[in-house]
Amino acid sequence: MKLSSVCQSLLILTLFSDSTTLALDWPMFRGPDHDGISRETEWKKQWPESGPITLWEAQVGIGFSSVSVADGCALTLGHQDDQDTLYALDSLTGAVKWQHSYPSKLGAKFYEGGPGSTPTIDGGRVYSISKWGDLFCLEASTGKVIWQRQLEKEEGLTLPDWGFNGSPLILGDKLILNIGGAGMTLDKSSGKTLWLSNQEAGGYSTPLPFVMGNTQLIALSNETHFTGVEVETGTQRWEIKWPTRYGVNAADPIILGDEIWIGSGYGKGHGLFRIQGGEVSEIWTNRELRAQQNAPVLIKDHLYGFDGDGGSRAALKCIERSTGKVAWEADSFKYGALSAAGDHLIILSAQGELITAPASPSSFEPLSRAQILDGKCWIVPVLANGLLYARNSQGHLVCVDLRP
Amino acid sequence: MKTRRQFLHHGLHASLLLGMPPYLLGAKKSAQYRTALIGCGWWGMNILREAIAAGRSQVVGLCDVYQRPLEASLDEVQQLTGSSPRLYRDYEEMLEKEKPEVVIVATPDHWHALPCIKAMELGAHVFVEKPTSHTIGESQAMLQVARATGRTVQVGLHRRIGPHHVSGMAFLRSGKLGRIGLVKMFVTSSGTGPEEPTPHTKEPRGMDWDRWCGPAPWRPYCRRLTPGGWRNFLDYANGTLGDWGVHWIDQMLWWSPEPYPKTVFSTGGRPILGPPVSDPDRGSTTDAPDTQMVTFGFESFTAIWEHRKYAGNPQENHRIGAYFYGTEGIFHMGWRDGWTFYPRKASESTVHQEPSFDHVEDGHNLTLLWQDFIDAIDQARPPVADIAPAHRSSLLPMLGMISHRLGRSLNWDGQTESILGDSEAKSLMRRAYRQPWTYPSLQSKTSSNQPSP
Repeated sequence: MKLSSVCQSLLILTLFSDSTTLALDWPMFRGPDHDGISRETEWKKQWPESGPITLWEAQVGIGFSSVSVADGCALTLGHQDDQDTLYALDSLTGAVKWQHSYPSKLGAKFYEGGPGSTPTIDGGRVYSISKWGDLFCLEASTGKVIWQRQLEKEEGLTLPDWGFNGSPLILGDKLILNIGGAGMTLDKSSGKTLWLSNQEAGGYSTPLPFVMGNTQLIALSNETHFTGVEVETGTQRWEIKWPTRYGVNAADPIILGDEIWIGSGYGKGHGLFRIQGGEVSEIWTNRELRAQQNAPVLIKDHLYGFDGDGGSRAALKCIERSTGKVAWEADSFKYGALSAAGDHLIILSAQGELITAPASPSSFEPLSRAQILDGKCWIVPVLANGLLYARNSQGHLVCVDLRP
Repeated sequence: MKTRRQFLHHGLHASLLLGMPPYLLGAKKSAQYRTALIGCGWWGMNILREAIAAGRSQVVGLCDVYQRPLEASLDEVQQLTGSSPRLYRDYEEMLEKEKPEVVIVATPDHWHALPCIKAMELGAHVFVEKPTSHTIGESQAMLQVARATGRTVQVGLHRRIGPHHVSGMAFLRSGKLGRIGLVKMFVTSSGTGPEEPTPHTKEPRGMDWDRWCGPAPWRPYCRRLTPGGWRNFLDYANGTLGDWGVHWIDQMLWWSPEPYPKTVFSTGGRPILGPPVSDPDRGSTTDAPDTQMVTFGFESFTAIWEHRKYAGNPQENHRIGAYFYGTEGIFHMGWRDGWTFYPRKASESTVHQEPSFDHVEDGHNLTLLWQDFIDAIDQARPPVADIAPAHRSSLLPMLGMISHRLGRSLNWDGQTESILGDSEAKSLMRRAYRQPWTYPSLQSKTSSNQPSP
């Protein structure tokens, strides 16, 4: 059975071999469409009582880095013994293809610490940033460093309280980071700074690309606002004031047409805004989805995500996008993280239980459950090519076989 | 000049004399108090949220030296009340301009005394977070001003009113424990070491770091200090003993037949976290002990404080609280684990009471404590966590830290509140404030400085 699955993977590999990344890869945080939703539909959503098969496990060090998958390689970051390590693992076997380490601090401020960003794969290269501004561009096949920078020192940046945790975004020839009060871009081939908004602390979200009119923009957070910035010039087109107690705007925004969803934890809540020209108007705001770390997913006009802060009581909620009203909530969770594939949710509870369920506004009806991890699981599970990657804060990474 | 309480008293008497209908008296008691918050962090907003929910406060001012929590608090107050209190960086300016009747002080310990005293002098009732202060002389001055001005002062020792604490105290007083000879108060947690220094960095934008340090020594900013991390920097607080310790020490003194110990001795250090670091190149670590045992010698029993920031407490049922050891068994007063009596005789069964919190996530009873504060103002009676007992409970961690610094036992006279026969220790009951702030002065000894019975 395993063998036939491998054959299937090889088949897929052959079919898409002309592309640099496979169609069902997950090359960066929040996936290929920047929305936390995989395009895969044919995957195993239900499994027997014994649970799905864990193909392999690895120990990757402390951190909250998620997994990105491309070209047969699964990448994540972890911290151990005063250094961060970027692991490139064989996505099918977990064998270490290469690893890249550099001295770093743990940064365990009120939590376990370790790197919080996820590496990004683009055009045969890997881009990776540490909490403290160590930025690397490496060859995806070998791990050879093509260029590297220490942004905090070189650019005189103010670090956010918990360091840099947004992941790199590649757009054309640009590398875009949530650094500075309104982002920065670099030339992805040389690492040269193209523009830097300012030296202030940024937020914790990953830059989200979108087009307004004919202009390419990114949406990102800083400590007190969400803002829309022109990629070419760095010009801020609009901003939404969104103050939170600890300056933690971490969840990525969601954009649909001229509407933007934003949300934060620590009691703040979420809201939907309309952007027309440079003008922002509120459609609704409420406290129903206090998205502390991870954004919800938007499926057919409903948001699915966790309300509440890690370490406290939280609920999984379904919310109508147009009104902000709660369709249902499941409060058996003590926090967690989720992604989706097609029209199904893939949930990892804070205690390491994997749960699948159809994304339906009428009710929450889990299809299958399996305990795949223990410890603290606040990191989004990732589905790529039928394989589910999940890890906990201590760096226990598992690959679960959900191929049909 | 009439104080507000005198005014209320007079008003009340006059209306009774005139035979005013009771519903008007009721109306008087539903008056809205102009309320201001100094220190807009996590706990300050927890308290202010209670004030808003109780329906007796009109929020007129918010004060913090850091713009970010100030704006986050404004945002929340606007959502909760629809009104927009003015924002201040300087508490004196706020107190003078807004003339609040009720002031919440939820700053770090080193910034308790001055705002509390100023607020009381300007006629406000005060809700101040525990412990009362950072050094003994500050707390003494706060108590003295509270008595001189007749203001109501509630200290945030919500375990004085939490239902399982109240029922647990009744159980303790019922005599079912027999004669109690030892109380052990403790907090344990898990952790590893050594602590890595946090680099010195520029303070966050919008934070007035100089004013944050205020009357305490200035030190270079590092991210470990805020939010909340200051509890383990001894310039600004007294570590776990000052933070957690005061809650359980207060429980012990609440029960205690004696108002104060005669001797205090602390030992401990940082065997796991390592020696404190403060170095321009490496940055700073915290400097509070990760291990501490303090023995408080009373005449009729002994009390011990113990904290450990490693190893947890896996061999016992409880990792936090106070054990009362009596001739009939052991009583544990806990937090989320309620209280439990373990009888000495195997034939008798364990007695247990679950807790009941106003706020389950944070595990506190601030709703009850705030309501008691308002009732105390209305009824001109002492609140349950009045400054006098809270002052006595707050002094013990401070004495523990003096003994810890000097490495020797202290003889304590609780009547005169003085350390006997040790001028060096005595000098540590106060400290010089950084300019331009002035350490609060005590009026010459009056009865107001005596512990109340």
